[in-house]
Amino acid sequence: MTPGWLLLIAGVGLVAGIFSAFKSPRVWLAATLAGAVAVFVAAVCMLASGVPWNWQPDFVIGGEKLHLQLDGISAFFLILLSVLGGAGTLYSSEYWTDKNHPASAPAGRAWWNGLLLNMGLVLVCANGLHFLIAWEIFTVCAYFLITRERQRPTARAAGWLYLAASHVAMIFLFAFFALLAARAGSWELGPMREHSELAPLFWLALVGFGIKAGIFPLHIWLPSAHANAPSHVSAILSGMAIKMGIYGLVRFTGWLPTPDSAGWVVAALGVISAVLGVAFALGQHDLKRLLAYHSVENIGIILIGLGFAMIAAAHGNAAWGQLALAGALLHVWNHGLFKALLFLGAGSVLHATGTREMSRLGGLWRALPWTASLFALGATAIAGLPPLNGFVSEWLVYLGLFDAISAHGPAAFAAIFAAIALGLTGALALACFVKVCGVVFLGLPRSEIAEHVHECGWRMRLPMLVLGAACVTIGLAPILFWPALATASAAWQPELANVTLPAPLVTLGAFHLALAALVILAGIFLWRRVQHNGVSRTGTWDCGYAAPTARMQYTAGSFAGIITGWFDWILRPQRHAHLPKKLFPAQADFEEHTPETVLENVVEPTASLVMRVSTTVRQLQHGRVQSYIFYLLLGLVALAILAVMGGTK
Amino acid sequence: MSGTMNLLIGLAMGFSLLALASSRLPSVIRAAAFQGMILGTLPLLLEEKFHWLVVAVAIGTITVKGFIIPNLLRRALRAANIDREVEPLIGFVPSLLLGAAAIIGAAALGSELPLRPEHAKTLLVPGSFATVVCGFILLMARTKAISQVCGYLILENGIYLFGLLLINTTPLLVEAGILLDLTVAVFVIGIIVDRIQREFDTLDTRKLTSLRE
Repeated sequence: MTPGWLLLIAGVGLVAGIFSAFKSPRVWLAATLAGAVAVFVAAVCMLASGVPWNWQPDFVIGGEKLHLQLDGISAFFLILLSVLGGAGTLYSSEYWTDKNHPASAPAGRAWWNGLLLNMGLVLVCANGLHFLIAWEIFTVCAYFLITRERQRPTARAAGWLYLAASHVAMIFLFAFFALLAARAGSWELGPMREHSELAPLFWLALVGFGIKAGIFPLHIWLPSAHANAPSHVSAILSGMAIKMGIYGLVRFTGWLPTPDSAGWVVAALGVISAVLGVAFALGQHDLKRLLAYHSVENIGIILIGLGFAMIAAAHGNAAWGQLALAGALLHVWNHGLFKALLFLGAGSVLHATGTREMSRLGGLWRALPWTASLFALGATAIAGLPPLNGFVSEWLVYLGLFDAISAHGPAAFAAIFAAIALGLTGALALACFVKVCGVVFLGLPRSEIAEHVHECGWRMRLPMLVLGAACVTIGLAPILFWPALATASAAWQPELANVTLPAPLVTLGAFHLALAALVILAGIFLWRRVQHNGVSRTGTWDCGYAAPTARMQYTAGSFAGIITGWFDWILRPQRHAHLPKKLFPAQADFEEHTPETVLENVVEPTASLVMRVSTTVRQLQHGRVQSYIFYLLLGLVALAILAVMGGTK
Repeated sequence: MSGTMNLLIGLAMGFSLLALASSRLPSVIRAAAFQGMILGTLPLLLEEKFHWLVVAVAIGTITVKGFIIPNLLRRALRAANIDREVEPLIGFVPSLLLGAAAIIGAAALGSELPLRPEHAKTLLVPGSFATVVCGFILLMARTKAISQVCGYLILENGIYLFGLLLINTTPLLVEAGILLDLTVAVFVIGIIVDRIQREFDTLDTRKLTSLRE
């Protein structure tokens, strides 16, 4: 079967899912999963054979001929879409059921399929107009998914912010594609690197795709949207929808010429997003909001890789650029996998406890062993620890940066700085996930809701297991995935077609296998010791204080307090404290809240200024005919004065 | 010849002021009608030779502006059962002062403009400017739809006056077209007045602000 037929099956499956979403959830589940599998097979076939698939029927939509194309980059992103889409579909069939959400679940299933279908269409469209149409539809579908719980004002506000930000992005994309079509003479997309006059359009694409990708400081919509959406939606938003922005950047930096400074700007934005993303994440007390800020961080890591690849491409395709690009692309997959895993895990916690507030959770490991273990696996992966996949892609980016330093090329100094920033990011991410795992899963329950909880069912567990297994596989056998990376890199820059497998990747794979074997051996050893000696439970050492309570544990805020203190200048946390003062202190309380600084200190003041000015101007339009005539007269007089003055010159 | 004409134009300007100063709708309508009739006779004075076309234009203008339009307006007044009071936004005395200022300004402007010698000694240009501005003042300073129609008529009279400068070159068809437009406009406004009255129980155009969005 050719990729075309498989994609057709996938499209039919997803459309059938839309129609069956309201009547029959089972048919919807089967059709959508079949569609996801078909997309997966088609993309794998393409990547394995390396032959792009093109389809140009005599079929006109909106005055433009349809042109679908599946090349290395499309297939690379489609695989991620199919995995996350399939996982989210199965997960939602238990997480967001008709029983628990009678009003929102059926429509939610339809929007979900619309989202998957249109993201897939964006990935295979090779016509600017159809790209824009599919992009807009998927944006709107995501809006309706974010506002599934529209009875909550915060969800409505998050959806509104998302919609507004998306449409700002859409304006830039409209300008980008329209100018591209005007200058290139056609809406058809394809490689046009020789048209150097198209280079300035890159900046429009950077803003348009950057808002979708959540680059700092364009990420304002991202935290609230990810936090307020249902968890399977958060997973696809964070795992795939923001990657559509990355797809756009990768696609059009590959096809179009870029300005000389483009790579530097992208790399700089990457560094800023990575460091500040994780800093903001540390300040969060809401589990899903925290994960959302980690998306900003990981987008930053991807952009560091992409930026250095672009710098290398501008300087004759140095080998380090190839490594950086491979790292960036692999991190797209990896972040999609472990972030979706983490969001699904967070969804399971939310499902069990009903709260996202970390300060009300605690001690969940015993009640939710599957969720906790898989969440911890995802946390290890996102913190970039070996032997999991996060380390592999970050390692590739590091290799690119180190090679750039040792090559004494133009980017050597920037690479030193980027490598340090990347290291800092990794360390902070580790601290942040120690905080999350410690506060949510270890210790004692901090509130009653965290006490009586139950583990999720197999339909929520299986998707998490699949995603966790994918994380482990990429971590242990990175060589298996190199051909996919090579095909995608070749689609980005044809000059990169004949690249060899980097030797450090082989070493890394072997090292990871050895490490995993060691971990398993150590586990077996410990387990046998436990079996042999037995387990006795005793109270935690309490420094001699005989009546500790669950409230005396470290909170999320206190754990991260020192680190967030370093970033006070940008986080601007709001603290309200009544500290204990007398010898026998009576009442004391402390409250800390880290707002979305860019939104509250930059965007909102600007918006309110615009609002004030336009409200003032709007008073001119009051509906009194008499005054309108007066405006008319004033205009005439002004014109007359202009004409008389022009006449005397 | 130009003496008679200047006298008539002066009279027309006087009627503009009268329209500004009137406190009752019928007298505003009457002022606008008389002004239209006076201006309608002007083509006869401008043409040296007797020409039946010019006579036709004059008779047509006088009939439409002096009889048909005022009758339409009076009928609208009766049909909509409108209160006869003019409700001014700007009072009568300030309106008059504005009108007087407009006439002075128009005279000053007229003497500044580079006109052809045969027009320079007539009041045609200053008269037309003054009438246009008076029409505007009436449009801006009154609230009732009927008085706005009168303002519109006076405004049109000013434009017509300016058009007389070109009477030798303007085809008859254009004149006839303008007249027809004007009549239809007044006719339509008459209907609208009735509708507004039924909908809002008033003819105060300020109430139309509720339609702005």
